[in-house]
Amino acid sequence: MTTQVAASPKPRRPQRQWAPYLLILPSLIYLAIFFAWPMVRAVRLAVWNETALLTLREEASADSSPAGALPQGAQVILLDRQSNLAADGGSLRTGALTETWYRVQGNDPDGNAVDGWASESRIRVRRTDEQGAPTGGTVRPRIGASADPLTSIFAEPNERSQVVGRLAASAGVQIPEQAILEVWFLIQGEDGAETVAGWAPSGNLQIYSSGEIGRIDQGDTGQFTMAYIQRMVNDRFFKPAMITTFLLMVLIIPVQFVLAIIMALIIQSQIRFNTWFLAVFAIPLAASDLAVGIVWYSIFTQGGYLNSILQTLGLIQFPQPYLTADTRYWIIIAIWLAEVWRATAIVMVIVVSGLQAISQEVLEAGEVFGAGLWDRLRHIILPLLKPSLQVALILRTILALQVFAVVIALSGGDVVTVLANETYRQYYTLRNMNVAAAYSVLILLISMVSAIIYLRMVRSNEEAAA
Amino acid sequence: MSEIMIENVTKRFGNFTAVDNVSLTVANQEFMVLLGPSGCGKTTLLRAIAGLGMPDDGRISIGGHDVTYLAPRDRHISMVFQSYAIFPHMDVFDNIAFGLKMQKMGKAEIQERVKQAAEMMHIEQMLDRFPSKMSGGQRQRVAVARAIAMQAQVLLMDEPLSNLDALLRLEMRAELKRLLAELGATTIYVTHDQIEAMSMGDRIAVMRAGIIEQVSSPTTIYDFPANQFIGGFIGTPPMNFLHGQMQRQNGHSVVRIGEFDLTPQPLMQPLLASYDGKPIVVGIRAENMETLSSPAEGALRASVLVVEPLGSQNLLTVKLGDSQMKVSTHPDFTTQPDADVWLRFPADKIRWIDPDTKRALYPNA
Repeated sequence: MTTQVAASPKPRRPQRQWAPYLLILPSLIYLAIFFAWPMVRAVRLAVWNETALLTLREEASADSSPAGALPQGAQVILLDRQSNLAADGGSLRTGALTETWYRVQGNDPDGNAVDGWASESRIRVRRTDEQGAPTGGTVRPRIGASADPLTSIFAEPNERSQVVGRLAASAGVQIPEQAILEVWFLIQGEDGAETVAGWAPSGNLQIYSSGEIGRIDQGDTGQFTMAYIQRMVNDRFFKPAMITTFLLMVLIIPVQFVLAIIMALIIQSQIRFNTWFLAVFAIPLAASDLAVGIVWYSIFTQGGYLNSILQTLGLIQFPQPYLTADTRYWIIIAIWLAEVWRATAIVMVIVVSGLQAISQEVLEAGEVFGAGLWDRLRHIILPLLKPSLQVALILRTILALQVFAVVIALSGGDVVTVLANETYRQYYTLRNMNVAAAYSVLILLISMVSAIIYLRMVRSNEEAAA
Repeated sequence: MSEIMIENVTKRFGNFTAVDNVSLTVANQEFMVLLGPSGCGKTTLLRAIAGLGMPDDGRISIGGHDVTYLAPRDRHISMVFQSYAIFPHMDVFDNIAFGLKMQKMGKAEIQERVKQAAEMMHIEQMLDRFPSKMSGGQRQRVAVARAIAMQAQVLLMDEPLSNLDALLRLEMRAELKRLLAELGATTIYVTHDQIEAMSMGDRIAVMRAGIIEQVSSPTTIYDFPANQFIGGFIGTPPMNFLHGQMQRQNGHSVVRIGEFDLTPQPLMQPLLASYDGKPIVVGIRAENMETLSSPAEGALRASVLVVEPLGSQNLLTVKLGDSQMKVSTHPDFTTQPDADVWLRFPADKIRWIDPDTKRALYPNA
């Protein structure tokens, strides 16, 4: 019996684990639908003019080859017009000029039967069925001595097609069928130094009253544009919104962090009722931000609680106006108070969870090795809280950029405005989706940049050493 | 001088009394081990000495100063924690230097002390490493180095070896013992591992349920346990206990255990005279019995239940009368389960225990 030589063991490929991919897939779908898609849409809206260029065609048909393009707003001369069946069977863009043609059946002056197409300008509809569709009519007479007394009937709903017969004025006709045609114009305009001519559908054009000139109203091809961003930057509310947003960020975040750390230390300390404190601190989290804004409005408004308390105490004679355009700083203070009151607990919750992760023995070691309360906070607690503080800082900054309802409640959104409010104004009041998108992209950018800065800045020592 | 005096210290957690009126004096430069099963209050006592949990009652003084209600940092102590408690965000150097920096010591001196401590613990090569990149044993060394860098007169250790694996623990035990002898600090060392306590301590304080049961040198504790609990807690295997009945024969006190008689030492006779006709517990250690494979004068017959060859000894579980015992024999002694062996109890190795108080009886003790 021969001893079998063991084949040298092939390096076995590690078996692929599918479970993680199955788990990742839903989150990828989630990310794509709820994050990537809206973000891409917003960026596209902000920098992409969907109707920047109008493609001109060789012939009056969407199927014909392009003859060039003219930018939106370009002045054009109208050279010719033609009506065509719309390429996709009749659905027309709004604002398009149309022409209706009727298929008519009648007899010419010689008694021959004629069956063909005539434009609505030549046929008067006399009878319609229940749905309102024309069923019969007469040929319109032409006015004027030199006018042709007969009307040409065409083989197709097109003036360039073959003439199949001619009908006399006022001759009765049957109308078995009608067609709605789209009007195209042959236009000529300047694109830079170049003169371009070609056919374009009337829906994309604005025709001036003379009927000989017009302008490109709406292109059919998108193009990158800075126009919306320029419009955003040049908006008169842009600068105040930026300044207020950053001012609020600078005012809110440090105060919130100091308060949150103090609150967390109280909750973590061994004093009595510490869990009760947690509940009290967390109550504002349950209130909606608009409600919070209204609560603080009721405090600061002229007949509000603040004034009545001060009056009762005899500190002021008459109610002071706070939330007015002349006392803008009071509005900022009110927004600041409302936001600090409302959202500090979020930071606190994160800090508490961070504190709980710090081993009790490590803190005791600090105590044994000579660190007082302040030294422990500075050398042990804060460095170990870094990851939690980082998360809280990113979250807080993003939330500070979204301050909106409180501002609306306290200032009405005009006296003091913030970026989120401007987004809303552009979208809702001014109906300018693109500029609103530009604002939202700006907020997104600031959020992302600040997150990256924090992640780099607050890197833990260990990572830095690695 | 840094004698530690603990006087009538009591510490309660709610209704539970963790340390109950404990008094203990640790001499200057002494290595005192607090030994006891978990939950006996030894760590609570150590924390009270460290200042991490103020006692409800009593007094603690270090080197003659009352420190009972002082903050830990004002007690001039240093400590090694059970979980090491090294600062995860600092490298080894900063960890060892932490206490010195808190004392606002000069840079050069810190450098010098850290280097010295690190060399003593053989970690001078990893001063710039972070704890997360170190093994348990290395972290342990950092924790000890941090404690010894303080050069405090008092060193407190809370189960410092309990998180290490068995082999490393054996190694660190010897190293710590050498190091602490070198340092000459007054040391209180808390452990639940009796081998650690036996091998390292100058004296051992055995604690149970918040009370110190016995304070003595390791050999005394082993050979002359103050009560049944200590005899049963210390030693592997623990002391065997047999229940017997004192009887009077020919003017001598004799213990009847099942069908056998044991004659106590003459020294014990007066003490045991009062137990005539009463039950008594006899304690003997596994290695103190003489095991014979054939009947002999004064030897008791026992049947073997289990034989465990352990290399250095053969450990037998035998049935003597109604009770089971552990007997350690020479590794060459051969027997098998169900066989009979004959045990001889050397009279001077037998410990007599009062079954009511569970206290061991010693002449003129």
